Amino acid sequence: MAKRGLRIIVVGAGKVGDTLVNRLADEGHNLVIIDKNEERLTQLANLCDCMCISGNGASHEVLEEAGITETDLFIAVTESDELNLLCCTIAKQFNNKLATIARVRNPDYIRDVSYLRSRLGIEMIINPEYEAAVEASRLLFLPAAISVNSFAHGQAELVKIEIPNGNILDGKTISYLGQNITNDILIVGVERGSELTIPNGSFELKAGDIISFVTTRKSSFHFLKAIGFNTRSVRSSMIVGGGTCAYYLADLLIKSGIDVKIIEKDAARCEKLCDLLPKATILRGDGTNESLLEEAGIRDVESVVALTGLDEENIMLALHTKVVSNAKAITKINKITFTEAIESLNLGSVIYPKYITAERIISSARSRQATIGSNLEVMYSLFGDRAEACEFKVKEASRVTGVMLKDLNLKPNLVISFIGRDGKIIIPTGSDQINIGDNVMIVTMNKGFTELSDILK
Amino acid sequence: MKIKLQIYILGKVMTIEGLLMLLPVLCGLIYGELRNSVIYALFAIGYIAAGLLVSLKKPAKMTIYLKDGCIATALSWIVLSVCGCLPFIVTGEIPSFTNAMFETVSGFTTTGASILTNVEGLSHISLLWRSLTHWIGGMGVLVFLLAVVPMSGGSNMNLMKAESPGPSVGKFVPKVRTTAKALYTIYLALTIIEILVLIISGMPVFDSVCSAFGTAGTGGFGIRNDSFASYSSHIQWIVAVFMILFGINFNFYYLIIARQPGKALKLSEVKVYLAIILISTVTITLNILKVTGGSAEAARHAFFQVATVITTTGFATTDFDTWPTLSKLIMVVLMFIGACAGSTGGGIKVSRFQIRAKMIVREIACYINPRAVKKVQIDGKPIDPDLERSVSVFFFVYLLIFTASAGIVALEGHDLVTTFTSVAATINNIGPGLSMVGPTCNYAFLSGLSKWVLIFDMLAGRLELFPLIIFLNPMTYKGSFKGFFSMKQN
Repeated sequence: MAKRGLRIIVVGAGKVGDTLVNRLADEGHNLVIIDKNEERLTQLANLCDCMCISGNGASHEVLEEAGITETDLFIAVTESDELNLLCCTIAKQFNNKLATIARVRNPDYIRDVSYLRSRLGIEMIINPEYEAAVEASRLLFLPAAISVNSFAHGQAELVKIEIPNGNILDGKTISYLGQNITNDILIVGVERGSELTIPNGSFELKAGDIISFVTTRKSSFHFLKAIGFNTRSVRSSMIVGGGTCAYYLADLLIKSGIDVKIIEKDAARCEKLCDLLPKATILRGDGTNESLLEEAGIRDVESVVALTGLDEENIMLALHTKVVSNAKAITKINKITFTEAIESLNLGSVIYPKYITAERIISSARSRQATIGSNLEVMYSLFGDRAEACEFKVKEASRVTGVMLKDLNLKPNLVISFIGRDGKIIIPTGSDQINIGDNVMIVTMNKGFTELSDILK
Repeated sequence: MKIKLQIYILGKVMTIEGLLMLLPVLCGLIYGELRNSVIYALFAIGYIAAGLLVSLKKPAKMTIYLKDGCIATALSWIVLSVCGCLPFIVTGEIPSFTNAMFETVSGFTTTGASILTNVEGLSHISLLWRSLTHWIGGMGVLVFLLAVVPMSGGSNMNLMKAESPGPSVGKFVPKVRTTAKALYTIYLALTIIEILVLIISGMPVFDSVCSAFGTAGTGGFGIRNDSFASYSSHIQWIVAVFMILFGINFNFYYLIIARQPGKALKLSEVKVYLAIILISTVTITLNILKVTGGSAEAARHAFFQVATVITTTGFATTDFDTWPTLSKLIMVVLMFIGACAGSTGGGIKVSRFQIRAKMIVREIACYINPRAVKKVQIDGKPIDPDLERSVSVFFFVYLLIFTASAGIVALEGHDLVTTFTSVAATINNIGPGLSMVGPTCNYAFLSGLSKWVLIFDMLAGRLELFPLIIFLNPMTYKGSFKGFFSMKQN
């Protein structure tokens, strides 16, 4: 994209910082990284187009050296919540228009989010543990899905499911689906083996395909029910590991009336969880102990969520769950590495808190950048970066407006996934058209769109 | 090693070389040198076409590790030199391949050592191309590549690290591309200023352009047989000042443009560099008073010669071989010191000496207080132990290559000073040495073997040893080719 990159300062070159910096640099932003650990900085600087400054991100002098006065976006993602908040507060003193993002994980501060935002002027407070818990809860509410992501401020969802053997979709074309089952969903991507396709009407689905479709929450239930999926939310959940994320998840689940069991090793933490979550059953013990899991009823529970601090334990636990029961398994993985190997395992659903955090921050950077030029509002990367979903705001009449969609000569490997009009989501069919004032979401495998009219051949 | 990536980079380098070659073609047409213009134009078009063809397909993986950066740099410079020398052979001006290679490598590495006995006999087009090679080699062709070709990913910093002189290569701004652009903008601006100043002070336009290219790259190819001796004294002063300006770390200029002159003035390397120039000039002026005609002339010659040697340019206004021993000794020492890191100059670099000197001070302090914890600091920042190590190793490798090269050149049986300074003048990218390779002489008399050794030295010196060593080390390629060929069969 020919647009000018933003000037961004990232404080903290930890794992989130790392993912974030790599992704932001790929998008052409001017990055300055501040961290105290020089070794980590050197590693990062070797593979990433950014400038590294070693020092304390809350220090006035260091920030000045990093060029804070000309910065557009300031992101604090160090290990410490307090330092992140302090960095943002100090950075804000230089430049009142500066947008700041802080990572804050401690539930004590999370209750103050609105206060922190209004008083300290922090634009976004991101809590990876909470984000992960929300994502896990979405999966537990719709256990048939492999993943559920929300779009367009939560109005639309991108749901990913695998077509099982003998399903009515097996061997049917997409146009058959539209004529006979429902018109309210739109399949934006089909993964068959390692191949990704953005399908057109004549595409034939097969058992084993992993399809991703865009829809509203209500329609997704209808659709899944219609094709014979179980759309009921789980009734019970076993959470292994009682960290912060487990607390947030348990809280969300209990509020929706789901029965929650938490297994935690540490006695003091168990006590604390007991105070925080009076309705949950807290078991003290080692979550990797098979007999303990049996006793806790792993064979009968409807879902198992592995949230310990060790990725290896989480993976083994999910594999074990898959062997001994039919429960929905969700695995939390902290370290983003060996992703290909992890994908090849039969783990059920996997959530990466660090990835979610990075993704949230990146989309915020994108929308900031979008205000500088072009009509691109938000952009998400899909299917491991192989496709993009771009949301455009239609501000003026062009070749794409006022024409029925079926009459548009679109580029291949591209679909118009939804149109947002007057606060409502329309899943378009060939007879719909784009009007001025609409928000239009495009899913495409061609990258680098900056204007809606780029979708035409 | 990624062969596709290397081919892609080489293609781009060839395209750039072809495009730059069009400048001498234009000059040839102006001077009516039709035959040579056609030859240069054909080469230029050939390189552009071949380069574009080869780099048509962008490799999927553009991650350049340090190893790849070193190989790409060494390979690019070799290809650049071979492509650059062909026109000299075809036009018949330098018919032998060895000599043409020597001249071209000397050009690109900004050495300025020549094998030509009669420079004035060359056509304008070849003279300009010769000087242009200095300009291209001064800041580096890969830095140029980084500035003009959009390459994503931060790993291309490794290309810049391999090509740019100095113990630690940094960026002024977050992006490699912006940094490379800034470097070339400063470089181009200074060159243009010099051309204009020279024209205003009465130098012919063609001479001004060639001299400015030679000064900017700290190269040293003159376009007259006597280098600068026959130009007026104020032109000599101007050129001397510009040589010193191009020997300053470019960070200095960037900081001034970025309106941080305070920081610029704090750069200790620049201060040390200017102090060395001042002390050397004063000492030599006093020392040569007797052999020259008056103090003004002595000062001018001393200043010009100090500037030309410390920046490793290699112009001359007088034959310093006739100077007293003390002055000659200072000149030889200056050859090794060289310019600032991050400039276009060669040599070992002032900052490496600074680091070594501070390491000596620390070593002594550790004898006095064995338990003392002390870090070497430059500009108030502690030096990374890795950097200390690499500087130490650099000195020793430098010594080894120097001794080995001198040993081979010594086989010819010339006197010690000739042997020693011919290697010193090429490995430090200066050009003229002393005695038989002094400012009024040239390298034509050497045997083919010695010339190739010196060609190697020039490249090794310009690329600061390691890229070339990595490139020649068979361990680098273990298993790389096998993967490439089996991939091709599929």
